[in-house]
Amino acid sequence: MNTLLIAQNTFREAVRDRVLTGILVGGLVLLALTRVGSALAMGEDLRLTVDLGLSSISLLGLLVILLVGTSLVAKEIERKTIFNLLSRPLPRPVYLIGKWAGLTGALALVALVLGTALSLLVCVLGSSHHVPAIAQATYLAVLELSLLTSLAVLFSALSTPVLSALYTLGFFLAGQWCDDLRRLASHLPGGVREGVALIADVLPNLPLFNMRSLAAAGDMTGLAHLGLATGYAVLYCACVLALASAAFESRDFK
Amino acid sequence: MSHPLSLPAMPLVRVRMALAWAAALVFGLGAVSLVRLATTTLPLRAPLAELAYYPSGRALRPASLGHAETAADLAWLRAVQYYGEHRRTDLRFLQLDHVFDVLTSLSPTFEGPYVFGAFALAQEGRDFAAAQRLMLKGIEANPRSARLAFELGFLHFVRPGGRDLEQAAQWFERAARLPGGPPQAGRFAAFARQHAGDLAIALLLWDDVRRTSTNPLLRDMAEREIGRLQKAIRTGRRQAAVKRLTTPAVILK
Repeated sequence: MNTLLIAQNTFREAVRDRVLTGILVGGLVLLALTRVGSALAMGEDLRLTVDLGLSSISLLGLLVILLVGTSLVAKEIERKTIFNLLSRPLPRPVYLIGKWAGLTGALALVALVLGTALSLLVCVLGSSHHVPAIAQATYLAVLELSLLTSLAVLFSALSTPVLSALYTLGFFLAGQWCDDLRRLASHLPGGVREGVALIADVLPNLPLFNMRSLAAAGDMTGLAHLGLATGYAVLYCACVLALASAAFESRDFK
Repeated sequence: MSHPLSLPAMPLVRVRMALAWAAALVFGLGAVSLVRLATTTLPLRAPLAELAYYPSGRALRPASLGHAETAADLAWLRAVQYYGEHRRTDLRFLQLDHVFDVLTSLSPTFEGPYVFGAFALAQEGRDFAAAQRLMLKGIEANPRSARLAFELGFLHFVRPGGRDLEQAAQWFERAARLPGGPPQAGRFAAFARQHAGDLAIALLLWDDVRRTSTNPLLRDMAEREIGRLQKAIRTGRRQAAVKRLTTPAVILK
């Protein structure tokens, strides 16, 4: 119940934030701009629209996380509003989970709006068969953003907003290279290989949430992929939030 | 009395922290197991291990941070601009091969650039070997693409300086066999075989067109060609069924 209340509050706060509105408007403008570029695309304009539309969901979501998510906890500490909350019988993990759920909800809303706008645009262009693939790609983008939000909450509970943003961005970059790192590991000698493979396992495997190349061609992914990606996102978020809770438990606000 | 915001009694904090760490470990192990399962069960993306060492288009893929498709779209716009600029001015296409290599490495399933790039390389760029290489790269990445097979056949069919009808026919036949192949692939294959001098195979291909085509004009055409071929084979006058096709040339203005 408390988790829900904190999540609702965080969601409301995020939705009222001008950053979110600006990013949403920016995403819609970007979508409209793809139509301007279509004249130069030599018949590949639909692909351009789908690609850029899906990329904008993912990249603008990351921007929201970096601008809003990384200061979620730090801002409350700075304003001292956290004292009112934590002086009540509220377990600290509940507070963190609520923060994560609220921001994830706001990001899902942004993804839903942009995904719907993209689907409508694609339908207007006469390619409604792309819509299921766009829906799948948007769902995977929401999972990716929820995972990055959990990392932002972890760093926000431990550090300053600027450092949290840098750490989150670092994990995003490293997470994108996860598959490459795993392949590189297979070419390395014994001990080093195990070390590099372990790093690849610990980093968030973000390529798992990427089906933009399929969606650009109007192709759908299998249920196995969606199931594995969902399970992975749930477990990874749970792991990161548990780590955040462990770190937050020991934090003294006196 | 302790401050309400100070830490609770130590043992309780330790218990909570231990529980949190244990939960993190369990969830983390679960996540690692799932991602390992995903890497072994889901289709592999193109291998990129060596890319860090090559300053080519392939190196751009990891650098695009998961947005290789968007990077490919931008590269496509740039490639079209590059082609247009040089087509309009000096007719020198020195970087065309590299531009399309970068683009198709970023997005191996993006079929448009293979076709456009190959024809531009073969005709304006006067580099048929590079054009063929680009198309074969596309077919390697998209072995089920009837469009690429057909276009490679057509590339051989209109090869500047001399048609390669045998190669053209082979690719047209492959395009006709693949699901979603262009309806004209069978007719092109039969035509290419016939004028390459493979009359027996051409006869079979035309017969296939006659039986399977839904277009009555095409069926009539197949009927005529079958008659011509049968007569040529019967009389031994092969030239009656084989036309001497003109040599394709490219005139750049």
